[in-house]
Amino acid sequence: MNTVNYLGLLRLLAPETVLTITGLIVLFFDAGVMRRQSIPRRQQVAAFLLSAGAMLAIGWSRHYSLADPNSTSMLVIDPLTQLMKQVILFLTIFTALVSLESKFTPHVGEYFALLALATLGMMFLVSSVDLLMLFVSLELTSLSLYILTAFQKDKLESSEAALKYFLLGGVSAAFLLFGMSWVYGLTGETNLIRIAGQLRDRATDPVLLAAMVMMLIGLGFKIAAAPFHLWAPDVYQGAPTPSAALIASGSKVAGFFVLARMTLAGLAGAEGSGVWNGFAPGWVPVLAVLAVLSMTLGNLAAIAQTRVKRLLAYSAIAHAGYMLPALMAHNTMGTIALLYYVTTYALTMVGAFGVVAVVEQQTGSDAYDAFTGLSRRSPALAVCLLVFLLSLAGLPPFAGFFAKFYVFTAAASASTRSLGLLWLVILALAMSVVSLYYYLQLLKQAFAVDPPAGAKIIRPLPATLFTLVFLALLVLLLGALPHLLVNKLQAALVVSGL
Amino acid sequence: MSTEQHPYIFLAVFLAVAVVFPLIPIALAWLWAQTFSPAKPGPDKNSTYECGLVSRGEVWIRFRPEYYLYAILFLVFDVETIFLLPFAVAFLKLPVGACVAMMGFLLLLLEGLLWAWQKGVLHWK
Amino acid sequence: MPALNHYLVLAAILFSLGLTAALTRRNAIMVLIGIELMLNAANLNFIAFWRFRPNPDEMVGIMFVLFSIAIAAAEAAIGLALIISLYRHYRTTDLDQVDALKG
Repeated sequence: MNTVNYLGLLRLLAPETVLTITGLIVLFFDAGVMRRQSIPRRQQVAAFLLSAGAMLAIGWSRHYSLADPNSTSMLVIDPLTQLMKQVILFLTIFTALVSLESKFTPHVGEYFALLALATLGMMFLVSSVDLLMLFVSLELTSLSLYILTAFQKDKLESSEAALKYFLLGGVSAAFLLFGMSWVYGLTGETNLIRIAGQLRDRATDPVLLAAMVMMLIGLGFKIAAAPFHLWAPDVYQGAPTPSAALIASGSKVAGFFVLARMTLAGLAGAEGSGVWNGFAPGWVPVLAVLAVLSMTLGNLAAIAQTRVKRLLAYSAIAHAGYMLPALMAHNTMGTIALLYYVTTYALTMVGAFGVVAVVEQQTGSDAYDAFTGLSRRSPALAVCLLVFLLSLAGLPPFAGFFAKFYVFTAAASASTRSLGLLWLVILALAMSVVSLYYYLQLLKQAFAVDPPAGAKIIRPLPATLFTLVFLALLVLLLGALPHLLVNKLQAALVVSGL
Repeated sequence: MSTEQHPYIFLAVFLAVAVVFPLIPIALAWLWAQTFSPAKPGPDKNSTYECGLVSRGEVWIRFRPEYYLYAILFLVFDVETIFLLPFAVAFLKLPVGACVAMMGFLLLLLEGLLWAWQKGVLHWK
Repeated sequence: MPALNHYLVLAAILFSLGLTAALTRRNAIMVLIGIELMLNAANLNFIAFWRFRPNPDEMVGIMFVLFSIAIAAAEAAIGLALIISLYRHYRTTDLDQVDALKG
């Protein structure tokens, strides 16, 4: 029986504790004090409380002491996890500010409290290094996100999207748990580091490979990689736009980080190989299949879309495909590239969804037609949209360019053998060109086409506009000076040893 | 074969008697029904017996949504007891920190209940 | 006494049955039942592996099961709530008729 130092644990988990208490305060403050106020007022107060709590958590997460790095612990606290938690908390703050624009629910307190709980799940997900902790925090995130998707109760699509999300998510969670049970049975461990120690000798055990594939199915669902992407378009379209923004950003960051932890730390020694003409069973070829399917399917399906939220969903699937080769490169450079990609991608996605939220609130639609002549109706919004979409497309002055650049160079230089992962990089480059077409299609609608007669000027709230401009500037800054983030990631990665 | 050698033999005897005893009257009743009153179903005989009144409406009725809210709330709080049971079993050996942590858990549960109460979910309309 | 293999086979059968139900049933509640069956199959695996370990003093397996039971209950509660909210719009829980989102 090992003794636990509860006070020390509480100090290590101070950011999480702060966020939990923030969620409860938001819930009860809204239900008690703010009950008789108007809904916009309640939204403002709740968003302010949540942002203040998240800022406090960010501040606290900077002052931590390294946890005792013995391999028996369930959670790991190191510079890298703290950095990723800060990213997730910032994404939550942006989501909360974007939420001010939409009026979709009278249950304001519950909405913001659930945002806090979903964020809490993601933070634990980033820290967890044990199968049990990983499963519990994954479910905390997922369950909160299901409810956030269903929040617009008067809209049929919202309920439908939530139920589809829930049913597919439930099946994938069951796969994950079943895979975990086999890994536990075969190794007798639930700690990822010690599982890796056990795995080295028998990496080609077929039962083990089956268990691994099952776990990858569970996590592949979380990052919306094809063929486990079926929920993504429906959820992005049906969910209230701010909820969709969190699903597309924070959940993505946490999902990719935990996938990296699972494969790089937990399944180290069972990589197999994904180089051309040299496949060997392991997790790399599995991820290669996911990457190829995601890239092609996401990009080709995105061309046919007529609604912006669905377009963003298919492009999200494609981006998941671009990110996977960085993981398969299986080296420090690949990990840095992955984390840089997913961070900048999440910031861009929150911004893009913010623009959609404003347009949708004021025109009642997210179809391409609603964006016609946006540059005339709201120049600031149109410029923000331009920045976000071009960054998603991966054009040079924006953060998306360096993200793709790092990932592709990491993947291309990963293997010393001839070709290596180059075949994947070539496919990804070709698909990036395809993606340019549909992003420009939307931008043409916003910039080149005249607004229809009688189209109203679109006026975002000051707070939303500030958030969007800030995000656009951030995307530009990270595009111009990528080493700001890369150096931080590198320093953190060296200490943590992932 | 005595009760000395097989102390549990009387259990088997009891079981046999317990099965056979109710079967005898059921078999007798079935034989009686076969011989003296064969089944003759008709619309009057098949109708639901409502103390002599004519029955109305469907058997499959809808429950009010409050019923489901109660059921869902019950489900959640009911299953949390699986954490309380190990806590109770190990209570005497636990350090103070574990007890405080458990109190935190209970407090969260209580908060959930308070929230449901405050939302009026517990109020049967 | 049944050996470890028996439990594992039973769990695998349960998992397959649950998956079949989740994939083929058209009623949302039946799909939910299928998912619960899959989760319980995993729980059975954990218990069996824990019971047949050389040192059953380590409570890892049983702890995993406790948590996953609680999570499965939370999931069932949320699933039922979502099904009710969908039923209010469609007046049905048949998934074939739930098709507003396409593309």
